[in-house]
Amino acid sequence: MNTQPEIPLNESPLLSEPHSRGGRHRLRPVASWREHHGWSAAASLRRLMSRPVGTLLTVAVMAIALALPLTFYLLLGNVQKMGEAMGQNQTISVFLQPGQSAASAHLMAKQLRERPEVSAVAVKTPEQGMDELAKMQGFSGALHTLDSNPLPYVLEVQPKADASADSVDRLVSDMHGLSGVDQVQDAGTWRQRLEALLGVGQRAVLILAALLALAVLLVVGNTVRVDIASRSEEIGVLMLVGASRAFVRRPYLYAGIWYGLFSGVLAAGFAVLVELALADPVARLGQVYAGKLHIDVLPLWLLGAVPVAAAVLGWLGARLVSAWQLRKAA
Amino acid sequence: MIRFDQVSKRYEGGHEALSQLSFEVGAGEMAFVTGHSGAGKSTLLKLLGLIERPSHGVITLDGQNLAKVGRAGIPKLRRRLGMVFQDHRLLMDRTVFANVELPLMIGGMAPVERARRVRAALEKVGLLAYERQLPATLSAGEQQRVGIARAIVAKPMLLIADEPTGNLDPSLAVEIMDLFAEFQAIGTTVLIASHDLPLIKRMRKRVVVLDHGRLVADVAAQEVL
Repeated sequence: MNTQPEIPLNESPLLSEPHSRGGRHRLRPVASWREHHGWSAAASLRRLMSRPVGTLLTVAVMAIALALPLTFYLLLGNVQKMGEAMGQNQTISVFLQPGQSAASAHLMAKQLRERPEVSAVAVKTPEQGMDELAKMQGFSGALHTLDSNPLPYVLEVQPKADASADSVDRLVSDMHGLSGVDQVQDAGTWRQRLEALLGVGQRAVLILAALLALAVLLVVGNTVRVDIASRSEEIGVLMLVGASRAFVRRPYLYAGIWYGLFSGVLAAGFAVLVELALADPVARLGQVYAGKLHIDVLPLWLLGAVPVAAAVLGWLGARLVSAWQLRKAA
Repeated sequence: MIRFDQVSKRYEGGHEALSQLSFEVGAGEMAFVTGHSGAGKSTLLKLLGLIERPSHGVITLDGQNLAKVGRAGIPKLRRRLGMVFQDHRLLMDRTVFANVELPLMIGGMAPVERARRVRAALEKVGLLAYERQLPATLSAGEQQRVGIARAIVAKPMLLIADEPTGNLDPSLAVEIMDLFAEFQAIGTTVLIASHDLPLIKRMRKRVVVLDHGRLVADVAAQEVL
C-alpha cells in the first residue's frame, strides 16, 4: 500500500478499542434523535431546493388547492356581511295605489302604528321619493323628462326588533289585503332566502375544503412516493449499514412538512391578494349603502393556521406513503 | 463468533443456494469463502447480514441466534457488522466523509467524536486527503477503500466482504486484501467471499470451499499452499 497511515495502528483512535461501540462517545438517545431531526429537516430542504422547478410546481398545485376553499370562505363571509348590512333596516315598504291621497296615507299609517308588532311607520311622499331618485346616479336626467310625479305614497313600516317571523309574515299579508295598497315589498323574506343560501354555501365550502385537503394529501403523497422510488438505492444502503425504518423515513416526512408549509404560506398570500383585489369594488359598493360596507378580511389566526394545517397534511401524506413504500425494505 | 448449523437456503422457485452447511469461525479469525459463481458464497454472507433468512438450520452470531432477531432488531444487529460490497454501494451524492460517517450517525454518536473516527478510518485506508470529494471523482480502488472505511468506522465485531476485489486490477486487489488482514491483526473477525484463488492462496488464511451450496473443503491457514 503506497499510502501507509502515519499513526501507528495501536494509537489510532479507530483501532485503540477494537469492536467496542464507542460507549462513552455515544450521544444520549434524545440528543441523537434531536440531531438527526435537525439534519433531516435541513437535508430534505436542501433536496427540495436542489430541484427548484419541480418543488415550485408541487407547491403551487398544493397552494391552489388550499387557496380555493380559503377564497370561497372569504367571499361567503363578505356576502353574509353584505346581507346583514342590507337587512339592518328591515323595513317593509308598502306602496299605495297611485292617486291615494295624503290623508288616506296618514290614516293607514296611524292604523298600522296601533298594531303590537309594529314599532314605527313613516310616510314617504311622492316628492320625497322623487328627491331620492334624483340623488341616485344616472336618474336625474331621465326625471326631467317627466311631466308629473308618477310615484305613489309609500309607507315604511318598521317591525319591532323582537317581533316573531310569524307575526311579521301575518303583518305583511294583512297589509296586502288593505284597500288602496298596490304592493308590499318585504326585505325580510329576501334576507331569509339569502341566509338559507349562505347556509348551503357554508356547507359547500366545508365539503370543498375537505376534498381539497384530500387533494393536498394525494399530491404530497405522490411526490414523496416518486422521491422514495428514485432513492431506493440510497434507502437500500442506509438499511444495510443499520439504519432503522424511522431513520430512513425521517427526511421524507420533513419533505412533506416543507411542501405543506410552503404551499400554506403561498395559499395564505394568495388569499390576501384576493382580499386586496376585492377591497376596492367592495368599498365602492359600500358607498351606495351609506358606508356600511367594508371588506371583511380573513382573520389573522386563520391565515396563520393555514400553513400549520398544510404542514400537518404534508406530514400525514408523507407518512402514509413512506410507511406503505418502505414496508418491504429490510 | 459465527456458527452455521445444518443451514439450508432455498429461494422461491426452488433453487437451493445452500444445503446443510455447518461450519464455525472463531472470534478474531479471518476466513475466505470461495467456490465457483453460484456456489452460495453471496447467500452465505447475506444470511449473516440478515438480508436473507435461512430455510432450515440455525445461524449463531456472537452467541445470538439470528432466527430470534425480528424485523425491528435487524438495524441493531447490522450496526455491529461491517459490510463491504463488490459494487461498494456508496452514496454518490454525498462526500467521502459523509459516506464514512453514515454508520456513526445512525448509531447516534456525537459529531465531534464522529469526525475523529471518520478521519481515523479514512487515514487507515489512505484517503484522508479525499474527504471532501464525491465518490465519483475517485478511482474504483479508492471507492472500494471508502466502502471499507465505512464498514470499519463503527468498530464492528465482524467484517464481511462480498467479492471486495472483484472489480479491481490485481495490484489493487492485493492492497485491499492486506487492509483486511490488518483489521484481523487487531482483533476483528473477517469473512471474505472471493473467487480469486491466486489471491486467496497468497493471503494464507483459512479457506472454506463451497460447491453447489455444499461445503466441500475447509482448509486451515497453515495448510494453504
